[in-house]
Amino acid sequence: MASSDAPFQLKDLLTPATIRLHVAASDPGQVIQEAGQLLLASGAIEERYIEAMRQALQTYGPYMVIVPGVALLHARPSDGVKRPCISLLTLEPPVPFGNEDNDPVKIAIAFGAVDRQKHLQALTMLTQLLANEQALSAIQASTSAEEVMHIIAAASPAS
Amino acid sequence: MSENAAEAQGECIVKILAVCGMGFGSSLVLRMTIEDVLKAAGLKAQVVVSDIGTARSEQADIIVTSAEFARLLADRGIPIVVIKNYVDRKEMKEKLLPLVKGS
Repeated sequence: MASSDAPFQLKDLLTPATIRLHVAASDPGQVIQEAGQLLLASGAIEERYIEAMRQALQTYGPYMVIVPGVALLHARPSDGVKRPCISLLTLEPPVPFGNEDNDPVKIAIAFGAVDRQKHLQALTMLTQLLANEQALSAIQASTSAEEVMHIIAAASPAS
Repeated sequence: MSENAAEAQGECIVKILAVCGMGFGSSLVLRMTIEDVLKAAGLKAQVVVSDIGTARSEQADIIVTSAEFARLLADRGIPIVVIKNYVDRKEMKEKLLPLVKGS
């Protein structure tokens, strides 16, 4: 049941086309570049959004690694988001972001929001996923985007 | 103000500010974890999301955020809950609930 304020479920925004597995990135900037490229290729953001995400990480620091091993990367709606979107990378090897408690990052999730509402349902489902350590381990071990989609569908009851 | 409405009903609603850099991602995740923990404990509070800029002046009884932002808000004189794992209900429960109950 999608309300009109939050019409997007996680599976509407995160698709096999916006998932890349076992990405080798040397630093956080490269992680943002890779995750941003997937959103750009899907037509959901303008190119400047990628630079804005990089700036956000620089300005606000590595708090974006909000769960052990997982970074939630984004900028503001005004930085060039055309529609709500989410991409996911698994990182091989894991990449340190400078977060004392939650480094290194094994899964990077980038998203674009157009306001505080429309991506909320997807973010709620993402929160359930992030609290599920088993599902996160399974995503890290996944060898196909379809497999990741199955794990996420099983871990988010609302989908 | 909703606080006045609550006071009129003889109930004082605690206002919790969930703070992150921009107010579109981590703080929304934080709000979900806070609301889950409050609900499980049968406690009521108003949970408001804020970016770090707004958080410097927004009125609140308790602030919940990461260590970096806590340092920037320390001079506000409001109790701050510093969270490491934004989705860990156990961590949130242990750190936040004593403050909510004491408010």
